Amino acid sequence: MLKPIHRKVSLVLIALAVFYLYLAFQLQSFGNGPIGTDTMPKALGFLLILLSVLLFFTKDKETEEEKKKRHIPKDDVIKILGVLVITFGYIFFLERLGFILVSFLFIYSCSLFLGYQKHIANLIVSFVFPTVLYSVFTILLGINLPSGVIPF
Amino acid sequence: MGSLEGIFSGVQLAFSFQGILFVFLGVMAGTLIGMMPGLGPISAIAIMIPLTYNMDPPIALVLMAGVYYGAVFGGSTSSILLNAPGISGTVATSFDGYPMAQRGEAGKALAIAAISSFVGGTISVILLMLFAPMLSSIAIVFGPPEYFALMVLGLTAISSLADGSTIKALISAVVGMMAVTIGIDTQTGTTRFTFGNPNLLEGIDFLVVALGLFALAEVCALIINRKQTTGKNDSIGSLKLSKSDFKDMSGPMGRQSFLGFILGILPGAGATIASFIGYITEKKITKKPEEFGKGAVRGVSAPETANNAATSGAFVPLLSLGIPGSGTTAVLLGALLVMDIQPGPLLMTDQPELFWGVIVSMYIGNMFLLILNLPLIPYIAKILSIPRPMLVSLVIMFSMIGVYSISFNVFDLYLLLIFGALGYIMRLLKFPPAPFILAFILGGMMEESFRQAMTMSNNDITIFFTQPIALGMLIVGFLSFIVPILQSLRQKNKNAVE
Repeated sequence: MLKPIHRKVSLVLIALAVFYLYLAFQLQSFGNGPIGTDTMPKALGFLLILLSVLLFFTKDKETEEEKKKRHIPKDDVIKILGVLVITFGYIFFLERLGFILVSFLFIYSCSLFLGYQKHIANLIVSFVFPTVLYSVFTILLGINLPSGVIPF
Repeated sequence: MGSLEGIFSGVQLAFSFQGILFVFLGVMAGTLIGMMPGLGPISAIAIMIPLTYNMDPPIALVLMAGVYYGAVFGGSTSSILLNAPGISGTVATSFDGYPMAQRGEAGKALAIAAISSFVGGTISVILLMLFAPMLSSIAIVFGPPEYFALMVLGLTAISSLADGSTIKALISAVVGMMAVTIGIDTQTGTTRFTFGNPNLLEGIDFLVVALGLFALAEVCALIINRKQTTGKNDSIGSLKLSKSDFKDMSGPMGRQSFLGFILGILPGAGATIASFIGYITEKKITKKPEEFGKGAVRGVSAPETANNAATSGAFVPLLSLGIPGSGTTAVLLGALLVMDIQPGPLLMTDQPELFWGVIVSMYIGNMFLLILNLPLIPYIAKILSIPRPMLVSLVIMFSMIGVYSISFNVFDLYLLLIFGALGYIMRLLKFPPAPFILAFILGGMMEESFRQAMTMSNNDITIFFTQPIALGMLIVGFLSFIVPILQSLRQKNKNAVE
């Protein structure tokens, strides 16, 4: 019964709606009259449950080809997760090491990880893009990006 | 101030040095970003937002509009050269554009696309000049009940017109609206759904949602296709068109400019539907429908005229009502709100130079698209040979820095990743992201106008049913919501009987 993917999705959405409604009912309603802080959230929660139930009972005509499309090869999953990890690193070190240095490391390592083998071109791009962007933001736009360990 | 004076100050703005410079930069940037596989006008505008913070608002809007139609044009270039439409609005262009390119006539196809875009863009800007003020004057009678009804209509329309399942589109919209309830409720000061996290007090920034759902989700698709090589467009042939080519183009260009514009105004329709309808109507009208799909001149001209005309059409509800009818104009509205511009009926009277400046600059922008891009196309096409791994890294970095430069808060970058993952999952499960972003942007306004209307009527909900305009829009909205659901249920019953 739960075989079609849209039924699983529908259950996940109902769970989300129930959780959201639970939180919505915890909200304190201020103000006079029936329209308070919690009116809209409650309405949305019930609407989502209604739509999810409808989704559960729809006939999903998923072809074999579409199923295949949804399946991601293991190799690609590894690459996506790898990029995610590198991006986490980027965010983590952004304010600690500064924009130029972290962006340089990020572009170089991320491109290399995805199979870009031209090291010299990679080095040049990783250096030029962040430097130009940094200058545009700080000098032209007056937006200060984290300078970090590079003292200018 | 009379409208003539307004137009005059708009002309002054558009022809100022800054005006011309920024429309040029916008069109160029839009073309370049729009060409990249997967990056369409929404991503292009979202990426450009941080650059506009310290700009003069009218100039910033001129830039954004340039990016918008530049990206629509750029998308057609990758459709023609690679059969890889950057956005859904240029899919129809690839039907005949790509076969033409394979015949070695890529240059001709690009020239047809550029000229058709120019004609479609220019005619529809004239229509925009005529229609937007008209709609503005009607809009002044709009009160909170009417605005609420209009937003409901916009949301249901985009959901029912989205490709694929209406229910999925509506779910996407509801979840988008849930996301906007996070943060402090502006009317009562109560916090909602923040889990005690101070970073969530101000709510989620729309740029986080826009870049996550669109740019980062696309990055995942790019990673999967990373081995695809793109550059094999060394010779694109001559750009010259013959007299008979022009003769073939004139019909579609004339008709589709008007049709595309009208479809662009309608909420939910937009460039994609305009381009498909443009293609289909021309195929029906022509005496040689068998040429379509094999590189017909009309087959390139029709969708290109229509999608550019629809782009200007989409500005009508945005500028005159302050209500976006599509995902792209929703992001544009978000960008305007960041700059403290509230589009709407008062925009034309309060800031005529901004209103008319943008419109006049669209003429200049379309001109730039034609005279600059035509000779530059062979060189611009080189950008398509950026290796995918490099493209992935650069898009991620641009998105990160775009978000960081408005919030200066690392927390938002983690949120960006979460929305990127959400966007990719939605894509895999075929939930359209456009209703999500539209709901996210309209949600706050919807709640506000709903409450205002209720205050007006002393909490009497019948206010929505006694105002004829509001009632009419709610009925249409309700029908576009309920009819597709009934249809799908009926189909289910039919299947059960069989």
